[in-house]
Amino acid sequence: MGFAGVARQTVLLTAVALYTALAGAPVLWVAMMSLRTTSEIAAAPFGWPSPAHWGKYWTVWTTSHYDTYFWNSTVIVAGAVAGLTLIGSMAAHALARYRFRGNRVIYFVLFSAIIFPPQLTIISLFQVLVEYGLFNTRLGVSLVYMAIQLPLTFYLLEGFFAQIPQDYFDAAKIDGCSELGMYWRLTVPIGMPAIATTVILNLIELWNEFLYAVVLVTDDDKRTLPLGIMRFLGDKLEDVGMIATGMMIAILPVILVYAFLSERLIRGMTASVLK
Amino acid sequence: MSAKRSLARGWLVRGAVAGALAVAIALPAAAETTITIWSHEADEPAKVAWREKAARNFEAKNPDVKVKITWYDKPALNAALRTALRAGQGPDIFYAEPDQVEYITNGFATPLDDLVNWNNIYDWARGVWTHNGKTYGLPQEAYTIELYYNKELMKKVGVTLPPSGQVGQAQFLDIVKKAAAAGITPISQGVGDRPYPGVYLSEEALLRRLGRDDYGKLLTGKLSYKDPRVVESLTFVKGLVDAGAYPKSFATLKLGESHYYFHTKPGSLMFPMGSFYTGRAFVPPDKGGQPEGFPLGVMQFPAMDKGACNQCKSLTIGASFILNAGSKNQKLAAGMLNEMATPDMGTLWLETILLQTAIKSDPSKVGGKYAEYFRELLDRNKDAQYFVGIPRDHIQGKCKDVFTQVLNNAFPGGLLTVDAAVDMLNQGCYTN
Amino acid sequence: MAISRPAAPATRARRRSAGQPWPVILLFLAPALLLYLGFTIDPAFRTFYNSVHTIKPRGVEEFVGLAHFRELLTADPVFWKSVANTMIWAVAAPIPDVGIGLLLALCLYAKVPLARFFRVVWFTPVLLSYVVVGIIWMWVYNFEWGVANELLRWVGLSGLAHSWLGDPKTALWSVMFTHVWKWTGFNMVVCLAALYALPTEILEAASLDNCGWARRLVFIMIPIMWRTLLNLLILSFIGKMRVFDLVWIMTGGGPLWSTETVSTYVYKRAFEWNTFDLGYPSTIAALWFVVVLAFALSLSWLFRQRDRLEY
Repeated sequence: MGFAGVARQTVLLTAVALYTALAGAPVLWVAMMSLRTTSEIAAAPFGWPSPAHWGKYWTVWTTSHYDTYFWNSTVIVAGAVAGLTLIGSMAAHALARYRFRGNRVIYFVLFSAIIFPPQLTIISLFQVLVEYGLFNTRLGVSLVYMAIQLPLTFYLLEGFFAQIPQDYFDAAKIDGCSELGMYWRLTVPIGMPAIATTVILNLIELWNEFLYAVVLVTDDDKRTLPLGIMRFLGDKLEDVGMIATGMMIAILPVILVYAFLSERLIRGMTASVLK
Repeated sequence: MSAKRSLARGWLVRGAVAGALAVAIALPAAAETTITIWSHEADEPAKVAWREKAARNFEAKNPDVKVKITWYDKPALNAALRTALRAGQGPDIFYAEPDQVEYITNGFATPLDDLVNWNNIYDWARGVWTHNGKTYGLPQEAYTIELYYNKELMKKVGVTLPPSGQVGQAQFLDIVKKAAAAGITPISQGVGDRPYPGVYLSEEALLRRLGRDDYGKLLTGKLSYKDPRVVESLTFVKGLVDAGAYPKSFATLKLGESHYYFHTKPGSLMFPMGSFYTGRAFVPPDKGGQPEGFPLGVMQFPAMDKGACNQCKSLTIGASFILNAGSKNQKLAAGMLNEMATPDMGTLWLETILLQTAIKSDPSKVGGKYAEYFRELLDRNKDAQYFVGIPRDHIQGKCKDVFTQVLNNAFPGGLLTVDAAVDMLNQGCYTN
Repeated sequence: MAISRPAAPATRARRRSAGQPWPVILLFLAPALLLYLGFTIDPAFRTFYNSVHTIKPRGVEEFVGLAHFRELLTADPVFWKSVANTMIWAVAAPIPDVGIGLLLALCLYAKVPLARFFRVVWFTPVLLSYVVVGIIWMWVYNFEWGVANELLRWVGLSGLAHSWLGDPKTALWSVMFTHVWKWTGFNMVVCLAALYALPTEILEAASLDNCGWARRLVFIMIPIMWRTLLNLLILSFIGKMRVFDLVWIMTGGGPLWSTETVSTYVYKRAFEWNTFDLGYPSTIAALWFVVVLAFALSLSWLFRQRDRLEY
């Protein structure tokens, strides 16, 4: 490696280091604050936790209904993401594989829903839920979540599925594979990187979703996690220490799930290259 | 093809289960009546305790009634109420503030004239919720706009206030300058999450300069902001702003943070705030309250030169409750409201929340740690002539938006000259 | 077939055009369409319906034709300010959003050591909720003790210390910066996937031809990835046109409407102004929907035209 090469490597590593600091430092800061009390933080905002109040996690978990909120979030979001993945991938497969009149129209209609501002549709959604008897239920929230993430999921998957070469499907057809089989045994495995991407994306968006959760659920025992954090945020001085702890509890599951799923994503990406 | 059929069957089953779940969840849970209340102030333990106590009292008197209070913070409450009420749903009773007349004009509030025992409520408080001869809300919390200050810091900058706590314009400016010179922020205030604190100085100055009638006219758009008295008052405020009265983080400082800024860190000299200050300050320090032994004082807003009413002060109603016109339990819910308006509850309010209330009660009964503060508060109010309502209670629509952006945020934030502010205000609010 | 190349768009033309298995197609589409009909179309229609009505007290609706539209377009300076802010955002932000994402992906692709660690760290902002991101960055931008100003003071540039979110001149850019911070990791992941899908033999051939890094990037990799990049840009654009949560938490549209976006304005009119009238906010939403759709379609069409021409 000549001088240019070394210089390039240095620039690369510096840029990488700087960006890592930018991306990671804020979260690290919150993590540190989650182990300190509010008065400690007020005295020295950037200090290292000493002593580290691990007990705060337990306090938040038990005294602010966090366990209930966590459970509700898990149930609602897992259900919504599962439903989305199935429904979205089926629809994307249908529009990407088959050519028929109205194909582009349906595509356009499903896609254009991305643009609507949720602040407005929330009121009519509320009325719809009331009519179906789903207001203030976890199922209702789950269905609404599916509806709001469907356009994006569908859009991403259709774009990816459409790029899968038709030859695979022709070959499978010749081998006697059914239509459903082609979906299940070809599109889904090959499209796994895209599917995993949408799963992650939906998970993130819905786990953190706030506006609909506030309005569509009024019983405290059905509330979700983001509302739990907002509890600490009330009018008065933010209990900074508790907010930080609450945020970490909300953040950690998502990071863990991502860390786990991203491995499959990379494996999926490299696998499709080798095939 | 069996694969297709089984897939289809799978969907049928799923659909049936979902339907069953939906029905099961939607069915009512029990045979007894439940009164639902949606309330703000989820994060003020004293108020939560007080209202829950009223609920338990009511349950004790009515054995097969349960009262369920769902606690929110204000923005979430508004969003939830708007959606619920529009769909014909919503709680039996909900929290509201006097400026939210839209509940009344849209028919969501039941008139309470015959349902509530008004003997226990002050007449002026009832008046705040009376429109077209009918009273639509039960006032609960009352507060005055006060100017708190730190007695120690005042001594430190070398100022001795007269016993009445009243100074004039020039003196006030002088105090501000002295504090700034000593490196102490003269006035703590923050508008990061509220649309009203930034207006305090301006509104009190205008009230005193114009007197109650003209001040009322100004707020309802019948007096031009270009009136020389208005311009002079705003020029006075601008002078304070330019002398560095407010913190640099004024625009983003939150209400709770501004409290902290005043009494703990970094500490400011003065703090204009509604007397609900106590709700946040008289709690343990690690919950955001003021430090033990904090030298809290109460002074008056500066008297205006050529002021028409320097005895005038703003008094207003805060937390109130409305009986949902769509509620199926009108009588019971009204009973619950009455439970929140008894003299005993009034005294409890004063003692535990340390704030004025619309319920007739005797503040001199308050004892304990904060008796001294209460005495000073009462003293400062003994000759006051009240103007009922802060500006927000009197303006609506576009004017409200402009008023907030100008007098709450931009003008005290030093972003606008007096002329620019006056122009924008006239454009948004003056209807002549 | 030598290698998998899920990158050629020409597959559409070779699809079967006769004898479509309709039952299966319907089966695939039905759940999505049902969900859509129940939860998306209905609100959408109601919004358009509302936009030509005024909702009066007691649920009475009054048809007002285009009156709201007229008022919106001629007598509402806040609307125009919000449009300007949103457009600035939607045009300026996607470029760093996708650009930085691409650069990060390239770093990972170039097998920087500890790539897996970096990937997780760089993606973490995406995982955070807007509430968390908003709060953290409000603390960062805090005038007294926020990281941004402390850093400036530490290097001696305390004159530049600002109330980032309190000054109309800097508020919008500060919030935009935070938004890009949050999302660029997502674009990185998508670009990375696209990079891994690049046909390796072409890259090998290029390097054999002594093609330098930069030229390989600009003339080979980017053109092949173009469709992905375009999708990301369009998505980013649409997302910015709808931005709400972050602005709401950090500034609420202030100071002096300098961060007011169309969505925050819609929310304010629907939920914060002292009225239950849904007509006017629906008008804004309906109009904006048409605008964004028009943009998205034309961008899409414009670039796909170029795409098609090359083949």
